[in-house]
Amino acid sequence: MKTAFLAGALSLLLPTMGVAGEYNLTVDRVEIDTGDFVKTGIGYNGASPGPVLRFKEGENVSINVTNNLDEMTSIHWHGLILPFEQDGVPGISFPGIKPGETFTYNFPITQSGTYWFHSHSGFQEPDGAYGAIVIEPEGREPFRYDREYVVQLTDKHPHSGDRIMRNLKMMPDYYNREQQTVGEFFSDVSDQGFMTTVKDRLAWGGMRMMKADVEDLQGFTGLINGKGPEQNWTGLFQPGERIRLRFINSSAMTYFDVRIPGLDMTVVQADGNNVQPVSVDEFRIGVAETYDVIVRPRDEKAYTIFAESMGRSGYARATLAPKEGMEAAVPKLRDPARLTMADMGGMHGMDHGDMAGMDHSTMGEMDHSDMKDMDHSGMKGMDHSGMKGMDHSAMGHGSEMTAGGASDPFYAEGSGLIPTAANGGKFLSYADLKAQKPLYEEREATREIELRLTGNMERYTWSINGVKYEDADPIRLQYGERVRFKFVNETMMTHPMHLHGMWSMLDVGAGQLNPVKHTISVQPGTTVYMETEVDEPGQWAFHCHLSYHAAAGMFRKVIVEGGPESTQAAEGDVGQAGGEA
Amino acid sequence: MSRWISLTAIVLLGWGGIPTVASAQERMEDTTARKMPLKVWGAQFEEFEYRYSDDDEELGTWSGDVFYGTDDLKLRWLTTGEYAIDEQAYEKLENQLVGQVPISDFFDAKAGVRFDTPEGPDRTYAVVGISGLAPQWVEIDASLYVSEKGDASAELDAEYELLLTNRLILAAALDATVAFSEDREIGVGKGLVSTETGLRLSYDLIDRSFSPYIGVVHERTYGDSEDFVRAAGGDAESWFAVVGARLSF
Amino acid sequence: MSASRFALATLAMSLSLSAMGADSHHSGHGHGWSGGEPGKASAVSRTINIDMHDNYFEPESIDVKAGETVRFVVSNKGSLVHEFNVGTPDMHEARQVEMKMLVEHGVIQGGALNHAMMEMDMGGGHSMKQDDPNSVLLEPGDSREVVWTFTGAGDLEFACNVPGHYQAGMYGDVNVN
Repeated sequence: MKTAFLAGALSLLLPTMGVAGEYNLTVDRVEIDTGDFVKTGIGYNGASPGPVLRFKEGENVSINVTNNLDEMTSIHWHGLILPFEQDGVPGISFPGIKPGETFTYNFPITQSGTYWFHSHSGFQEPDGAYGAIVIEPEGREPFRYDREYVVQLTDKHPHSGDRIMRNLKMMPDYYNREQQTVGEFFSDVSDQGFMTTVKDRLAWGGMRMMKADVEDLQGFTGLINGKGPEQNWTGLFQPGERIRLRFINSSAMTYFDVRIPGLDMTVVQADGNNVQPVSVDEFRIGVAETYDVIVRPRDEKAYTIFAESMGRSGYARATLAPKEGMEAAVPKLRDPARLTMADMGGMHGMDHGDMAGMDHSTMGEMDHSDMKDMDHSGMKGMDHSGMKGMDHSAMGHGSEMTAGGASDPFYAEGSGLIPTAANGGKFLSYADLKAQKPLYEEREATREIELRLTGNMERYTWSINGVKYEDADPIRLQYGERVRFKFVNETMMTHPMHLHGMWSMLDVGAGQLNPVKHTISVQPGTTVYMETEVDEPGQWAFHCHLSYHAAAGMFRKVIVEGGPESTQAAEGDVGQAGGEA
Repeated sequence: MSRWISLTAIVLLGWGGIPTVASAQERMEDTTARKMPLKVWGAQFEEFEYRYSDDDEELGTWSGDVFYGTDDLKLRWLTTGEYAIDEQAYEKLENQLVGQVPISDFFDAKAGVRFDTPEGPDRTYAVVGISGLAPQWVEIDASLYVSEKGDASAELDAEYELLLTNRLILAAALDATVAFSEDREIGVGKGLVSTETGLRLSYDLIDRSFSPYIGVVHERTYGDSEDFVRAAGGDAESWFAVVGARLSF
Repeated sequence: MSASRFALATLAMSLSLSAMGADSHHSGHGHGWSGGEPGKASAVSRTINIDMHDNYFEPESIDVKAGETVRFVVSNKGSLVHEFNVGTPDMHEARQVEMKMLVEHGVIQGGALNHAMMEMDMGGGHSMKQDDPNSVLLEPGDSREVVWTFTGAGDLEFACNVPGHYQAGMYGDVNVN
């Protein structure tokens, strides 16, 4: 049924069959220099980011992790399919790694692609405890490249994670320096008229919501492979070569819009899994996601990799060049994003009927006129049958329109967050992602579970179905079922939802070619579906990957009941012995 | 309900005898900090300033609070003082200790005690109140006080911040006190007692930790309270130029 | 419905026009397209098997002699629609624009072709039938032949111009000796 699982089971049964690779990681206090500031943080093998771990599909890895900190630590292998005791979440998979202790992770590598690892203890990950994982496949890749680079993004902040959490709880707009000002009021008045602007401000003030509430955490320096914009990480190439760039967003809080002016990027993997190649000018990478793209610079010149934060409060920058020291122009940041009433669509039980009655003049900044002229005729030939389950607020238009007007079925219609390419070209949408090959046989989901993403920005509380993790019961799944998760985002923020241990198949309407992911972004005011084959026993974490949202309660434990090793185990039975202590 | 489930889990775990390390992992309860209510502390001085009046009076004043707690319950210490520099005496010195719980999306209820220990007679009050964010971004703090002598009064604090830029902020504050009975000893007459209106222009110099400001403050007493102040040889109305800083830690 | 028919007709015309444009462009250079011309079955001296996978060719380069006529037996062993097209990188680039339109209009749908739409008579003799002699467009499991005479040296590639496939590396070098 699922070859990866079979291979995994086999290698568990016959551990001597696979190639055993041994790896060592130390968890250390390190100095982090972004070019803008220097701070102490946490890293691996003496540096942040840590090393790139290179595994091979089919090998059994043994990773010795030595904790040189004076606090507990852990490593979670983000996106890897492995036995739950190896997943590295303290309190869910294992107790954690004590100061001075060495813990050995052992698990088979049953997949290939680009992934990453990070601490799952406290705020060690935002403090620098992360690194990349590259897994070479057993067979050949369905694409070609001459060289490859990991491009690992993060949002390094001068404050420690603990301090940031405290500040956000104390004053949720503590770090927001893109708020609407008197100046913006007057410029809106001149653009939209006085009454419209006043009505708009009153509408938002009445809700006590900020249009500028796009990025909770500003004031960071965007890093690529640990280098700030001034330090300019550079990847070398020979003109004409095909380069595979493995983008990983290891940010605590920041979505990045990535482009390389002058180069087409062909997306060939998302979250480590092959997708049907799609060429784009720009893409948005959610927190914890990975995208592998192929570029082919033909000219003997430098190209800038420019990653602008979604709210435009900061950026990361690196360079691809034929020679060290060459650089290309660095684009300017575009205007800050502003939410619209469409993004509020999910709040407080508002349904979309209410929306019709709302003042759409606030969407003034969006130009819908060009969309009316677009040719919808050809879309009739497309198979939308798989999309019938999609929420209509999220459907609106086909993905083809992303190239022209600002429309994307994965954003609320009229959302202020819909990305457009800086050069007017193609911006990747989730709707463009189709699996290269089906991972599972297609079947109907056996059950649907609705997860409303909820929160209160003024209190900086984040929750699922209105309940914070501290008050929540685990989500119980049965081994062997196929669960359809329905995410309903009732907040005004984007949440990258990450289920550990099992794949998340994002419903883009492509049936069994729906892309296979580990992290799924749910935009404000939208409903998104994903399906999961519950094929891994044990207990797993399931949470928003924004560090401070997860810590504030948008987190769940998932318990998979039953499974091959404990078919007879009743509820409450302590189960079989085993696993690595 | 959830308590029952966890209780059952504990009972069942115990029933299984002393679990081995591995099996304990299998069914481990999350006892990490993540599963605990997030505890947060903070300390802020909304006002920490030097005031110079139109009567050449000099004051050092502050208004701040320190809190510790969770989303569900916070303990908060609020402190306000006015120190007359020439007289070397506290014209006003109030300290409140309140417990605070959320009652709606945007408002908390609070209850506790207030100790007034300025130059002159002291007072102790029981306090109940609400604080939170009203529509159109007005921060509201309203309290009802009953003194140990049985005198009741109410205080309303409202503040609005206008962002000239994202760092240059004009804050308007209004504080009004009403007494429901007379407490002559401390100069309080029945009815509207006093108002303090302030306009402060601040600049966020270091994050939101240190924001120096300049401003003007207008203080006035009314009705019987005004008469008591005049009788004591004080000013019923004063204008102040202020310079200070908003602080948060 | 009539609107959609109109759009398709427009597309078909623009494809034909771009094909004509390409022709005139090439002849305009005076020396024509150095790559070659459709071959006669009787002149075939060699058969080369080309397998299409998702998304790469096997083999990924071939050697031919100038003047040689080759029979390519092209088999789609993948699960997606693929093209085999002999041309210069510039020709492939132009072809990719057309292929993008075919995908956008539902003619190419991942693992299948909409044959009805391809056969549809758009009027004036235009259709979206993909029948250029230097290329074949194959559904999974299909196999077809292309007979081609390589006339001289040139910068030649065989490529799949289904959107994204060329960029992902689905092309091979033709080394003309």
